[in-house]
Amino acid sequence: MQDERRPVAENPRPDPRLAPVRHGLTVNGRSVTVEAAPGTRLLYVLRNDLALNGPKYGCGLGQCGSCTVLVDGRALRSCAIPVRAAVGRRITTLEGLAEGGRLHPVQEAFIAENAAQCGYCLNGMIMTSVALLAAHPDPSEAEIRSGLQGNLCRCGTHVEILRAVRAAASRLREARTGSDGDDA
Amino acid sequence: MTVHPAERRRHWQEAHDLLLVYRETKGRPPRLGDAPGAALAAGPQRALYLAVDSDGRVTAFNGHVDLGTGIRTALAQIVAEELDVPFDRVAMELGSTATTPDQGGTIASETIQIAAEPLRQAAATARRHLVEAASRRLNRGLAELVVEAGTVRVAAEPDLGVAYGDLVRGPRVELDLDPDAPLKASADYAIVGRPVPRVDIPLKATGAWTYVHDVRVPGMVHGRVVRPPAPGVDSVLGGLLLRVDEASVAHIPGLVAVVVEGDFVGVVAEREENAAEAARCLAATWRSFDGLPDLNRPEAALRGNPAKARRLLDEGDVERALAHATARLDRTYVWPYQMHGSIGPSCAVAAFEDGNLVVWSGTQNPHVLQSDLALLLDLPEARIAIERHEAAGCYGRNCADDVAADAALLARAVGRPVRVQLTREQEHAWEPKGAAQVMDVRGGLDAEGGPAAYDFETRYPSNGAPTLALILTGKVAAAPAVYPMGDRTAVPPYAFGNARVTVHDMPPIARASWLRGVSALPNTFAHESYIDELAIAAGIDPIEYRLRYLDDPRAADLVRAVAERAAWVPHTKPGTHGGARDILYGRGFAYAVYVHGPFPGKAAAWAAWVADVAVNRVTGEVAVTRVVVGQDSGLMINPDGVRHQIHGNVIQSTSRVLKESVGFDATGVTSREWGSYPILAFPQVPEIDVLMLPRQDQPPLGAGESASVPSAAAITNALFDATGIRFRELPLTAEAVRAALNPPRIAGPDAPPRRRRGFLAGLLGAGAGALALATTLMPWRPAYPSIERPDPAAYSAATIVQGRLVAAAGACLVCHAGPDRASFAGGRGIETPFGTIYASNITPDPVAGIGAWSYPAFARAMREGVSRDGHHLYPAHPYPSFSGIAERDLQALYAYLMAQGPVAAPAPATALRFPFNVRPLMADWNALFHRPAAIVDPARSPDWNRGAYLVEALGHCGACHSPRNALGAERRGAARLAGGFADGWEAPALTGLSRAPLPWTEDDLFAYLRSGRSARHGSAAGPMADVVASLGPLPDTDIRAMAVYLASLAGPVPAPRPESAAAVAPPGASSLFQGACAACHEGGAGGDLVPLGRVTSLHSAHPDNLIQAVLNGVPAAAERFTNPDPSAPPAAMPAFRDTLTDGQVAEVVAYARARYAPGAPAWDGLEAAVARVRALKPHAGL
Repeated sequence: MQDERRPVAENPRPDPRLAPVRHGLTVNGRSVTVEAAPGTRLLYVLRNDLALNGPKYGCGLGQCGSCTVLVDGRALRSCAIPVRAAVGRRITTLEGLAEGGRLHPVQEAFIAENAAQCGYCLNGMIMTSVALLAAHPDPSEAEIRSGLQGNLCRCGTHVEILRAVRAAASRLREARTGSDGDDA
Repeated sequence: MTVHPAERRRHWQEAHDLLLVYRETKGRPPRLGDAPGAALAAGPQRALYLAVDSDGRVTAFNGHVDLGTGIRTALAQIVAEELDVPFDRVAMELGSTATTPDQGGTIASETIQIAAEPLRQAAATARRHLVEAASRRLNRGLAELVVEAGTVRVAAEPDLGVAYGDLVRGPRVELDLDPDAPLKASADYAIVGRPVPRVDIPLKATGAWTYVHDVRVPGMVHGRVVRPPAPGVDSVLGGLLLRVDEASVAHIPGLVAVVVEGDFVGVVAEREENAAEAARCLAATWRSFDGLPDLNRPEAALRGNPAKARRLLDEGDVERALAHATARLDRTYVWPYQMHGSIGPSCAVAAFEDGNLVVWSGTQNPHVLQSDLALLLDLPEARIAIERHEAAGCYGRNCADDVAADAALLARAVGRPVRVQLTREQEHAWEPKGAAQVMDVRGGLDAEGGPAAYDFETRYPSNGAPTLALILTGKVAAAPAVYPMGDRTAVPPYAFGNARVTVHDMPPIARASWLRGVSALPNTFAHESYIDELAIAAGIDPIEYRLRYLDDPRAADLVRAVAERAAWVPHTKPGTHGGARDILYGRGFAYAVYVHGPFPGKAAAWAAWVADVAVNRVTGEVAVTRVVVGQDSGLMINPDGVRHQIHGNVIQSTSRVLKESVGFDATGVTSREWGSYPILAFPQVPEIDVLMLPRQDQPPLGAGESASVPSAAAITNALFDATGIRFRELPLTAEAVRAALNPPRIAGPDAPPRRRRGFLAGLLGAGAGALALATTLMPWRPAYPSIERPDPAAYSAATIVQGRLVAAAGACLVCHAGPDRASFAGGRGIETPFGTIYASNITPDPVAGIGAWSYPAFARAMREGVSRDGHHLYPAHPYPSFSGIAERDLQALYAYLMAQGPVAAPAPATALRFPFNVRPLMADWNALFHRPAAIVDPARSPDWNRGAYLVEALGHCGACHSPRNALGAERRGAARLAGGFADGWEAPALTGLSRAPLPWTEDDLFAYLRSGRSARHGSAAGPMADVVASLGPLPDTDIRAMAVYLASLAGPVPAPRPESAAAVAPPGASSLFQGACAACHEGGAGGDLVPLGRVTSLHSAHPDNLIQAVLNGVPAAAERFTNPDPSAPPAAMPAFRDTLTDGQVAEVVAYARARYAPGAPAWDGLEAAVARVRALKPHAGL
């Protein structure tokens, strides 16, 4: 079984499925057009065509979470999303979280808590936490841990990350109460 | 983009307005594996350590690099402190060979302890020079001056001062580092010793940091490598490659090159995804290797590995003491192979310019890598610059250097800058592993209950893991070198009196190199388990026992402080923490001072643990619930950074102890993703209480590894406390602990797997018999004369549009698609039990296709399965169904096909096994089985009748969904649409025999056929996805009609389903599922997936579709369908074909079945089923 790596492809002509096609995407609020085969993973398009370094290649198997982006507000794995499936959806990367020149409260909390060692998983941790806190503004410790369960960190930064998510949750709640007050 | 290294180097060498501090050393630092004298032979080295510019900014240079531990910040603190400049004025340049000194690799926690010292002296040298210059400038005595924030002031005249920048302006000044330049007293520290936020995190948290993965060079192309089929075994490399078939990647757009040098194989393409696809498709033939000994239980392999004993310590009289011991305790401890497990697989960029090479790399050894590349490429070192960028944390030697060399080879071959990204599978398989280790202790108790003797032996099969490309290209022999690195912390910290320590130096078995806590972690596992065993045997509290023999006062202080912090209750027996229901609690202690570097080595920080565990005595699951960890690090440059390192060490080492062990088979590493090599995740992270001893007046000690070292013994000692059982082999997986807690009473062999009679053999036997009995009736039918291709203009547009819908409903393209996947040029092979049948070319080409066919010839072929020339078609062409097609539909189809562009390429000829290769026999077949019958029921609704027509005739659903008899004919009656197979995929029953957990309603069927997905049943995959795609042009009314008809087949009563006792998840599978599948299938990271409990394939009698999905993946709805369900998840299911072994896929599939279809019986023979499905050509899809 190890001898032949895999069967020779039957067709030596250019594979039409690999032919580049134009896709209109909405990334970080901007409309952009990229040319890539429809099955090209969104991660490659974001990194190589749009020069966005936030999402990281970690496994290509949807296991580790390094490549997480927000798709219509949900934290999904860009290594498993074909670019064609991203058309018509709102894509947000780490670079697009800041609003009006101000970092997202989750980013602020991660920075304040020094919640990174090598920082390679940081993108996934922040993006997953943003989506988690949007869905659960007041999460319990168990909910935070379970929400981040699919994001792997090898440096062992979990303690600082958990602290950052808790801090971000209170920042967000305070901001919400504050703005509610302003509205009233 | 960073500034080119040559330009930066020139700047520091030539620019003015700079004060620079250089240091000259006699040779370069010694390297692991150096030949004697090699370091000195390198000659005098003059290197820049510090520069102050005319803006008062300071750049400091260090040859060590930041591996994510925060030394960039800590080193800047040291420089800022000694120079008296604000922290934010200091920038560190780390590890670039063009500018930084060679200080050896960043290993062994040496950076702060050793590599920072010359930096501190350089800063002191610069400070003294600047103050002296200020003294002359201000015309004041040195004693009158103070330095504040980079400005030299006159203490008594606050307005009088001069900034460093002003002092530096003018011609450049080069100083030699003065090792005697006065240093600040630590009592005066204002920056060192205080928490400072990491400088890199704000950039990393916003995507603005440039990791090596993010380096982009103009003109850069993308490379991938293809490694030999001996994953993680470098000693067999060389001469494995037999050939590479470049035609196998000729279809890849933008392919730049296939590069082969010896066993090195790489591909380069303009776009990254195409390089990845090329690497996946490249057909390389290798000599196979399957000679690896069992490394899953590594003790025997290590004992059998050739070794040379090296005595490190021999004091007292061990043999005499043992002879007089009142109780002997001889123990063996076994450590498994483990991974560094960097979250980002290694990456590098290489570019040649005018014969000079620049490599952007995440290496931990830039200067060693520079030498390696010089050897690899026959280039002088001076022509090679390594630009060091941060990568994912490596914790030792991972594939960072390997990929740098790969990139250099590819860049040289294609003459363009190349970025190479290793895959997850490659990083897992090839990273040099943390070696397994076997520790033996001979000892016992003396008459007073003290340790009689301690005779310790350790085996550590590891070396420096030569950079792979050197071996692959034959520059370095594969024969592994022996590194004497098993001696770290091999000498126990206790005064045993009679003690002997022996290390068996040995070459690696699997590729191995240093991993955090190099050999010290396993050695300490033995030391600290053993002393616990002695204490319990002596009836003395384990901490008290240690303190009796611990004659290092700082160690004893730490041990007492940690015991007190944890509220340690002295005890002499296990079980003192009790339990509740199935849970047992326990607490354990361990201590170590990490001694690193070549023997006798240097001591880094002291560390001690109290670990609390909870054990489920039924399942065997172990949780570390709380760790009190104390550390004496001497002066802590950045206490926050030290605390951070302690947290990281506790979590990472807990993960290693509880979960981690590399899987192997005879060919190499089988753990090639995170499911088969699980690491600790958030829910399992213990509460950690850190105690940092205040020793700011003492020299700083390495803090990057120490807190890992006591982990294993603390946890196993706690497990002993909880259960009374000693665990001397790691990891403490649920299976291992369960087995120890519940030893099987009767050890019987597992029931041998039931051998299924060969499916094909059975069919062929029956078929041949039946055919032999049949008489030959009309073996040949008359030919229709050939005609000129009909002019498509003869048909109305409406007819052609109608024909297009007929073709869509008949899903003609699913089988007859050409290589372009758009025309009807045929050629697709359809796997049948009788052999591969190739679909014919049905474009209007007169020779290769059906251009010469008149309509009657076409109609006969469609309805009777007879070709124009009179020969019989195989019933893979579903003419029994098509016989029911309405005349006007058939005419429209003919018109539509004749209106297509002709394709002259003939489809391959079908060659079946005997007797099916005898085409005239098909006449007999037809006589037996061809029963054209249209289904019409005037009592039913028009929708139902339309649906019946579309399903039974045009759609020929039965071709796949009806079981076939031994002769390949669809079975009828009750068996009609009762489930069949097509192209290696199961086509489930459409009748009441469906095993779907929820009944298929008309709406479910409509959603599924229309969008490819039913939220209550799952998504269409394999050939069915093609069918759904083909149905795209049909109007909703037709899809609805099909749904109405199909829903009626199930009947009003829900299908009876076989019940069985709730299956128990097979041992060991849950962690694989958890790591490989759960993020998307349970955590929502793939979007709204259909819950696995509802997915039909999990409930089927056959595992094939689930195996297909795992091996080959499932495309996203948007990739496959023109009208995808808007709620369908955007993610595709990744293919695990190249990642998981047959056994691993079987494990995942069995677990998913047991967990999500608990009422269904377990599937038999799964591993063989996986092998069978793997051997099929993956369904190509439209």
